[in-house]
Amino acid sequence: MARVNIKIKVNGKLQELGVEAHETLLDTLRERLGLLAAKYGCGDGECGACTVLVEGNATLSCLTLAAHVDGKDIETIEGLEQGSHLHPLQESFVEQGAIQCGYCTPGMIMSAKALLDKDADPSEEKVRRAISNNLCRCTGYEKPVKAILEAARRMRGEK
Amino acid sequence: MKPFFKPKAYFRPGSLGKAVELLSNFGDRAKVLAGGTDLLVQKPSGAECLIDIADLGLEYIKEHENGVEIGAATTVRSIGVSGSLSSEPYLVLRDAACALGTPTIRNMATIGGNICNASPAADLPLALMVLGASLTIMGPAGKREVNIGEFFENIGGKNIQADELLLSINIPASRGRCGTSFQKLRHHQTSIDIAIVNVAARMTCEKQACVKASIALGAVAPTPIYARKAEALLGKKRPNAAIIQEAASAASEEVNPIDDVRGSKWYRKKMAAVLVRRALEESSRRCGIWPE
Repeated sequence: MARVNIKIKVNGKLQELGVEAHETLLDTLRERLGLLAAKYGCGDGECGACTVLVEGNATLSCLTLAAHVDGKDIETIEGLEQGSHLHPLQESFVEQGAIQCGYCTPGMIMSAKALLDKDADPSEEKVRRAISNNLCRCTGYEKPVKAILEAARRMRGEK
Repeated sequence: MKPFFKPKAYFRPGSLGKAVELLSNFGDRAKVLAGGTDLLVQKPSGAECLIDIADLGLEYIKEHENGVEIGAATTVRSIGVSGSLSSEPYLVLRDAACALGTPTIRNMATIGGNICNASPAADLPLALMVLGASLTIMGPAGKREVNIGEFFENIGGKNIQADELLLSINIPASRGRCGTSFQKLRHHQTSIDIAIVNVAARMTCEKQACVKASIALGAVAPTPIYARKAEALLGKKRPNAAIIQEAASAASEEVNPIDDVRGSKWYRKKMAAVLVRRALEESSRRCGIWPE
């Protein structure tokens, strides 16, 4: 089976890889790079557990071929932490208790990051829309929405 | 990943000529990859090679004096936020784009994919039908134009051959004052689920009368359809509640839906009338002739 040679930047680090023609970005991240935060959920684009950022846009890595993102900048939740400091979104998810089993959390936080990178002061409705492709089956959405709004306040430097 | 989806080769042609050559060589065994949100869900077992159209320069929205041209690989998100589509008659397309899937799907899905997947419930084709759009398709013998209304055949069937590629969508500029509307019913209005019924409408007005109406419905027949009888009821009149209701009822008689997991035939017919009424009300409001 023919390999496709790609160069992608993952969390700031250049990766040169030979991938299968049918290999999804999710498989590349998990199986080749050992980045296990993005999850396989439904495989159909409905649950959002596999959400990562491609060029800053929330993208379903289970429906994206690795070869298709050749040359692109990929961000996963593993890249959010700076040294020993969590990203404000991670901090506020922890503080608000916006996590239960945690399966949906990396995808939900990456969807939220895509929003906050473009819009520093989103309305609650915008937050809800931004995570509308992220299904949570345990705790619901109230706490994640609160956590995202709180993180936005922190990132704006408000108390 | 389903084990039977194992294309052996991935191509990323850098020119249209090369892309068509690859399509000619592989025929049915090749699949065109754009956004992947349909292809990677369907994972067709017969796909031996994938032809990625990312490097063909097909991602653009161009305004010109005769209308707007949209490249086939333009994402649904770009269409939803485009300044070129933020006035009539293009609002129907913008609104359809904003109603498709979720924000994440819209980052990935393309207008060409939404057309070529040829789902009877697709959103963007309905908007393009009422806008009278045409498609530029390239094959080994060169380019051809096909009207979007003649593109769909039976369920999932389409007027494009295995060795052809959709290049662009051309929307003619409107003559006269226009109002349009896009309506979509689904189980949860912000969910990823496809339409139970979807409707696009467009009215062209002169003074206070509607001189031309166009109505397209989805998820209620094997292909997206025009409601020709309903359109005829609106001609040359100033729309009022009674006329709009009459047209909505006529449209619901023109559809031929199925019972499925999303809704029954009976429910779809009822909702077709409701959505056509709302679409006509909004179109006439946007035209400036409603309410009287």
